Amino acid sequence: MFLVEFLIKNGRAGIDFSSTIGRSGIFLCRSILGLSLGPKGLKLLAKQIYMVGVLSLVIIVVSGLFIGMVLALQGYNILIDYGSEQAIGQMVALTLVRELGPVVTGLLFAGRAGSALTAEIGLMKATEQLSSMEMMGVDPLKRIIAPRLWAGFISMPILAVIFSTVGIFGGLLVGVDWLGVYEGAFWANMQSSVNFQEDVLNGLIKSLVFGLVCTWIAVFQGYDSVPTSEGISIATTKTVVYSSLAVLGLDFLLTAVMFSSI
Amino acid sequence: MDSYITINDLHFTRGHRSIFNGVTLHIPRGKVTAIMGPSGTGKTTLLRLIGGQLRADSGQILLDGQDISQLGRKALFDARKKMGMLFQSGALFSDISVFENVAFPLRAHTKLAEDVIRDIVLMKLQAVGLRGARDLMPSELSGGMTRRVALARTIALDPELLLYDEPFAGQDPIAMGVLVQLIRLLNDALGLTSVLVSHDITESLSICDHVVILADGVVIGEGSPTELKKSDSPLLKQFLNGLPDGPVPFHYPANDYKTDLIG
Repeated sequence: MFLVEFLIKNGRAGIDFSSTIGRSGIFLCRSILGLSLGPKGLKLLAKQIYMVGVLSLVIIVVSGLFIGMVLALQGYNILIDYGSEQAIGQMVALTLVRELGPVVTGLLFAGRAGSALTAEIGLMKATEQLSSMEMMGVDPLKRIIAPRLWAGFISMPILAVIFSTVGIFGGLLVGVDWLGVYEGAFWANMQSSVNFQEDVLNGLIKSLVFGLVCTWIAVFQGYDSVPTSEGISIATTKTVVYSSLAVLGLDFLLTAVMFSSI
Repeated sequence: MDSYITINDLHFTRGHRSIFNGVTLHIPRGKVTAIMGPSGTGKTTLLRLIGGQLRADSGQILLDGQDISQLGRKALFDARKKMGMLFQSGALFSDISVFENVAFPLRAHTKLAEDVIRDIVLMKLQAVGLRGARDLMPSELSGGMTRRVALARTIALDPELLLYDEPFAGQDPIAMGVLVQLIRLLNDALGLTSVLVSHDITESLSICDHVVILADGVVIGEGSPTELKKSDSPLLKQFLNGLPDGPVPFHYPANDYKTDLIG
């Protein structure tokens, strides 16, 4: 009897899980393909890039600056023991471009933009705005979801690049202006060791993947939420938790594939 | 009788609960039809089935001869352009003004010039008496006004069918009177077919030409208001007269009271 109950419980959880994965997959395909490229569609997209991307700039720039500064400070204290503090530019740049840029931007993006997307779409569902749009013959996947999804894909790599750039300047500020590392060495070491294809491009690919996954999770959680205040709060929490875990897990996988030969 | 909507042997289950067990009904063209019944009998579900937002388990929903439950996604969105639905909450888009809300379906489905859209929007707002409120945001409207703006938006594309979900719920007497009059007026002036789901018996019976009463997943009465008032079915009598006890019991099913207390 216990065994049967156990099987029923887990079987149902398994069915629910696979049906959610299936639904979110269909949802993603329909929304990605649903973007309209007419003037109206581009206007909606521009508005969402502003909401998702531009409004995230402050948190990205400030965090990037501080993380770059901390990296330089910590790196300097270690490197000085080996007399190689000139390598600080290289260390800060590689850490940011390969790892911290995409990952921290992904985490901040999930918290800042992802949660906002989920809450907005969840509330639209709860107040029947999505239903009423459907009844007007307008597909909410095209009108509401597609521009938000694409805005996330487009914004995330740009935000990650901005994060890394600002971080490098933070490193410069601490390393060169404060701790007195020779500026020529700072830039020269960076230039000779950071490879465009291996480091910058791979970092961009990472941020693109994180952008896709975080935005997908955010809009799907909103669209699939239970339309009550409790349901929306659960969906928003899920967005942040799932996105963060996905970013960290995928980062390991992508790093293993991209940098294992180095 | 020329019917705009014909529903044949409709079955629908939600979770483990069966909502409709073989509902068959007709909604006459050009008339106001009220679908009534106790709470929880799936009146709103029926509207969502007619609008194609839910899929029936079995049975037919013929809308002007077209089976709505068999349509593909694209055909369904096209079919919806012929119908309008007024939601209980109004469901206005909260980030755009009253004017833009009413203009929304026009901008989405037509390529009309901006000054034509402006004229149509003002005409629709005039019809619901809110032309002066065009620049307000939805958050600045009262409940009754929200519903009237939503009504203007629903009729923006001149639909053939208007579905009202609980139009009178939570309205003050004046707003209710306005809505009652609007529903009748719009139906006759625009030549629509209107379906309203409600449990406000007095208001609904005062404007409708045809009544369908649902209970326990089936149709228990159908006809004109006067025909139904004459009916001697106990369930119909209980519902139409608002009696607290009868075939629909006052008590939710439970074990014997005495054993429950004494144990």
